Amino acid sequence: MKPAPFEYHRPTTVEEAVDLLGRHGYDAKLLAGGQSLIPTMNFRLAQPAVLIDLNRVEELDFLREEEGGIRMGAMTRQRAAERSGLVGRGAPLLAETLPWVAHPQIRNRGTIGGSIAHADPAAEIPAVMLALDARFTLRSSGGTRAVPAEEFFTGLFGTSLEPEEILTEIEIPRPAPGSGWAFAEVSRRHGDYALAGVAAAVVLDGSGRCSGARITLLSVGEGPALATEAAGVLVGTEPSEDVVRAAAEAVGRGIDPPADIHATAEYRRHLAEVLTRRVLPRALERARASAGA
Amino acid sequence: MIVEGEYTFSGPRDVVWELLQDPEVLSKAMPGAARLALVGDGAYEGSIRVGVGPVTAAEWKLAVTLQDRDPPAHYVMQVDSKGPIGFTRGSASVDLAETDGGCTLMRYRADLQVGGKVAGIGQRLIDQVAKMMTHRGLDALSNELRARLAEEA
Amino acid sequence: MTRRYVGERVARNEDRRLLTGRAMFVDDVQLPGMLHVAFLRSDHAHALLRGVDVSAALERPGVVAVFTADDLGDYWQPGPLLVPPPPVEGIVFHEATQVPLAKDKVRHVGEPVAMVVAESRYVAEDALADIVVDYEPLDAVVDLEAALAPDAPLVHERFGTNMAAFVAQRHGDYDRARAAADMVISRRFLYDRGAAAAMENRVVAAQWDPLAEDLTVWDTTQAPIPIRNGLARMLGLMESQVRVVAPFVGGGFGPKIMMFYPEEVLVPWAAMRLGRPVKWTEDRQENFFATSQERGQVHDAEMALTRDGRILGVRDFFLHDCGAYDPYGLTIPINSQCTLLGPYDVPHYYSEFRAVFTNKTIVTPVRGAGRQHGVFVMERLLDIAARELGLDPVEIRRRNYLSPELFPHNFDILYQDFAPLYYDSGNYLPALETATEMIGYEGFREEQRRLREEGRYVGVGVVSYIEGTGIGPYEGARVTVDPSGRVRVATGLGTQGQGHYTAFAQIVAEALDVDVERVSVVTGDTREFGWGTGTFASRGAVVAGSACHAAAVAVRGKILAMAARVLGAAEEQIDLADGRVSVRGIPERFMTLGELARHANPLRGAVKPGTEPGLEATAYFGPDHGSTASGVHAMIVEVDPETAMVEILRYVVVHDCGRLINPQLVEGQVQGGVAHGIGNSFYEKLHFDESGQLLNASFMDYLLPTAMDVPRVEMAHMETPAPMNPLGLKGVGEAGAIPAGAAFAQAVEDALSGYGLEITEIPLSPSQLFELLQVARAASPQIQETAG
Repeated sequence: MKPAPFEYHRPTTVEEAVDLLGRHGYDAKLLAGGQSLIPTMNFRLAQPAVLIDLNRVEELDFLREEEGGIRMGAMTRQRAAERSGLVGRGAPLLAETLPWVAHPQIRNRGTIGGSIAHADPAAEIPAVMLALDARFTLRSSGGTRAVPAEEFFTGLFGTSLEPEEILTEIEIPRPAPGSGWAFAEVSRRHGDYALAGVAAAVVLDGSGRCSGARITLLSVGEGPALATEAAGVLVGTEPSEDVVRAAAEAVGRGIDPPADIHATAEYRRHLAEVLTRRVLPRALERARASAGA
Repeated sequence: MIVEGEYTFSGPRDVVWELLQDPEVLSKAMPGAARLALVGDGAYEGSIRVGVGPVTAAEWKLAVTLQDRDPPAHYVMQVDSKGPIGFTRGSASVDLAETDGGCTLMRYRADLQVGGKVAGIGQRLIDQVAKMMTHRGLDALSNELRARLAEEA
Repeated sequence: MTRRYVGERVARNEDRRLLTGRAMFVDDVQLPGMLHVAFLRSDHAHALLRGVDVSAALERPGVVAVFTADDLGDYWQPGPLLVPPPPVEGIVFHEATQVPLAKDKVRHVGEPVAMVVAESRYVAEDALADIVVDYEPLDAVVDLEAALAPDAPLVHERFGTNMAAFVAQRHGDYDRARAAADMVISRRFLYDRGAAAAMENRVVAAQWDPLAEDLTVWDTTQAPIPIRNGLARMLGLMESQVRVVAPFVGGGFGPKIMMFYPEEVLVPWAAMRLGRPVKWTEDRQENFFATSQERGQVHDAEMALTRDGRILGVRDFFLHDCGAYDPYGLTIPINSQCTLLGPYDVPHYYSEFRAVFTNKTIVTPVRGAGRQHGVFVMERLLDIAARELGLDPVEIRRRNYLSPELFPHNFDILYQDFAPLYYDSGNYLPALETATEMIGYEGFREEQRRLREEGRYVGVGVVSYIEGTGIGPYEGARVTVDPSGRVRVATGLGTQGQGHYTAFAQIVAEALDVDVERVSVVTGDTREFGWGTGTFASRGAVVAGSACHAAAVAVRGKILAMAARVLGAAEEQIDLADGRVSVRGIPERFMTLGELARHANPLRGAVKPGTEPGLEATAYFGPDHGSTASGVHAMIVEVDPETAMVEILRYVVVHDCGRLINPQLVEGQVQGGVAHGIGNSFYEKLHFDESGQLLNASFMDYLLPTAMDVPRVEMAHMETPAPMNPLGLKGVGEAGAIPAGAAFAQAVEDALSGYGLEITEIPLSPSQLFELLQVARAASPQIQETAG
């Protein structure tokens, strides 16, 4: 369990980092918190020729409030986001979810951007970003572009990052009035890859009618998945218990979950439905409280 | 591991059958710049490059043998591959049936053994990787079919 | 004033070193010029080995040597059979022990094929990729029943079968019991395989000193003395030329008693051959394949009862997975066979098993060593019988316990020490009553109903077990009063975190009446003490502890005799207290033990004939029989029937290990054992696929319970002293792990009462429980979860 030999670079600015990445591209891996990459290298499954360590790039580690919402640097530690009042106010779904990400020791090192770029289908942060309609800034020596989460995630560990691009920033829009949120997952032990997980962000108008819903799923497909049919069941209704049940069934219908030693596909589908039934009432409750306030 | 499913090609069965025997076409259906050459009757050898997510793409040696051929309806494909992090062995049974509108329905069922490091550490993802590679491969074949039919038209 | 230490909560004297990072482990051994080893291991579970080409690896800079089986010459030998088959009539036993490096054929994934020795572990691992192995894959033997089919591929061709052993044992006449029964319950039970997963993996380091002509081996073994003896024999050295040191070891749990692991044979050999110190540290990935495992058994069992729930007899047929080799003989299945009877009066018993070779990692004892299988079968049969008879599960146990007047009790069948299954002592009912009281069994049913109305599904499980502990052959100890006044204790046994340093110090401090902090214990260094066997079968404290006691008593005699001479008084007039001797009634005529020790080693004059210099004695202890510990576990769980997740809310253990040396150490052992048992029940399962590949070879997928999954165990102690040793001790190392699966199954079924589901398989994953629930729902459409 020793990694294969690699060349190591430790830039201190984004410019330096994109420069290095531009030079090494496919042969290079970016090291953020290292909580997935380092074990993968120790197993020699990953054998990058070049490792570019972003941990000294201070400009990637920030969290601030802007007009439209929250903006954070990709190297923001998960634990820092979890404990930030800014995230608690501006992205409460993220704040609620972060304690489910592995363990505190891992969140102390793991970064928000690292988790997004890694795009593990069982990871909580990508699913939450999708539910929050976040936007990501990608930068290369050629320039900068912004990509919405929906376009960013492209299947199993797939993202729209080009080999020479770095994910630098994450923007989370401010929740609309009448917003409610909730997250739940089932995992074997706390901190394990979830067997299934559901994040929901809903909006109710003044009359209690659902005007928007984003339900996202983890661990039931190739990547974080937006349950559009289920959201469609909610939108336009005053969500009752029956509507919630119908949305949960739509979640079950819309997925083709994988099987592994921990859970059969049928069990995963069942869990996704049960979790949807548990998550939506909580999200709606919060939305009602917010809409009423 | 069992990988099974169905896939509909928008084209006649004879053409689909031909495509499935053509090493050049098969190369395009396999991941990562595959090279595949015919080395005997129904026997192919070559290599593919596979990498998923954090797993560095590496070369896997590949040997494929077609058996029990009953053109254009059925064959069994023996597959043996070996890469730096493990190996796969197994067979896939393929049935082609004509359907309405001049389409071809493929039914496939592969029984694969996966061994080595990838089996011990990768179990969480093997199912999905197999599904993904199968779907991408079949889509690539379908594109090839469309191109060929367009050429002929 | 006599100091009392035995029975007291003395703080562990080893913890200062452990907690400040100053305890030496084998991986801390760093020597100038040391080389590092990596092993190339088979990727295949079963394959012919056509060739191994190491030429490219030898070219790699930093690689010093690469060895394959052919390079070993005559040194290549199958390992010893550690435990010969028991003398049971009609026994069949096929011996096939592991080899240092595979030759001709590989028989399980992870079996070593080549050994790379290099300047660093990094380079050694790089070189593994340079080695080309030509395998011809064979079909693998994985499933136990399929292994015995006539056309199954063979793990060892020479036997013509995959059956490694057959043993039938009987007590009474089961057929008669069955004929007389009001009811017969029969079921199939599965208990699957897990890893021991000690925190420290195995490590071996070796250094040959060509000037002194001696070999030092540091090894994480539980049995340093047998390792020394075996290495000396294999390497053609005298035992005195080999020193084996097992320093601090981060957990044993059984697999570290297995010997000889290939790495244990090869590292010392390579050190001698290359003339440089060599070290190999097993990494976690290797541990999943290369360190022995346990637990795969399939039982077809039945129980004959009267209508009032009395057991008339039990019959059990089972298959035992021994993996690719069987170096540990039949200890595990014999333990299963014997421990099944538990604390119950079973007049008629028939049990036969077949041990089966499979293409999986070797099976040798892991904490519990087969006992949990027997307990699981017996306790499950009792639960099912109770349900069918409309009896409370606690009541059916109460009705079947062996009563105290039946001790000592002999079941006529042979135990792992080849002595008859003999219960030296026991008193079971009080433990049951205490456990049910602690868990609140009386009031629980009411609480359960109330919670069910709120949509919460809670259940209770209460099970019993016994554990044969403290078997022979023997251990020894030497106790020395140092001229500094400190007392040194040396014993040959290895220790892996149990607290032996403290327990032995307590025994000796009490016998010599010195401050326990003035007693230091050394274990596991063959140069310090060269006679003994090792730490296994919950025997360390019982057998070595008794030897420490005997040696201390002998030293006490020497102290009194010497003091009488030096102080000029009769022996009977000498008081020994607080580390000094004095003449009774004349406290000013005293001498410290240190001063007395100096007197005992005179520089002039003569040591009188019939006496020895020094205040030192060596003693040995070998019990005729083991001593039988026992206990009751009670558990409350909550099940979410929608998600199939189970949470353990409370866990009570009432345990009887005879006289307690240190309740805190016992509680630590039990708490750890329970964690192990909870792992076996719900989390830990090694998943092998049909080609013999292990699918969860890392802690990502092999789920050890964490501190969050294991409740703090509430404990009470019973003390029924063992008659077999002077201190009345029984072992406790494995107890916590043994009945957890049975308690868990009973509690989960109880929480889901009304579903009509039965748990007959351990470990039970939530995915499996989900399937059981789905079947139950399909069978009874009226089941409607009340949880939201």
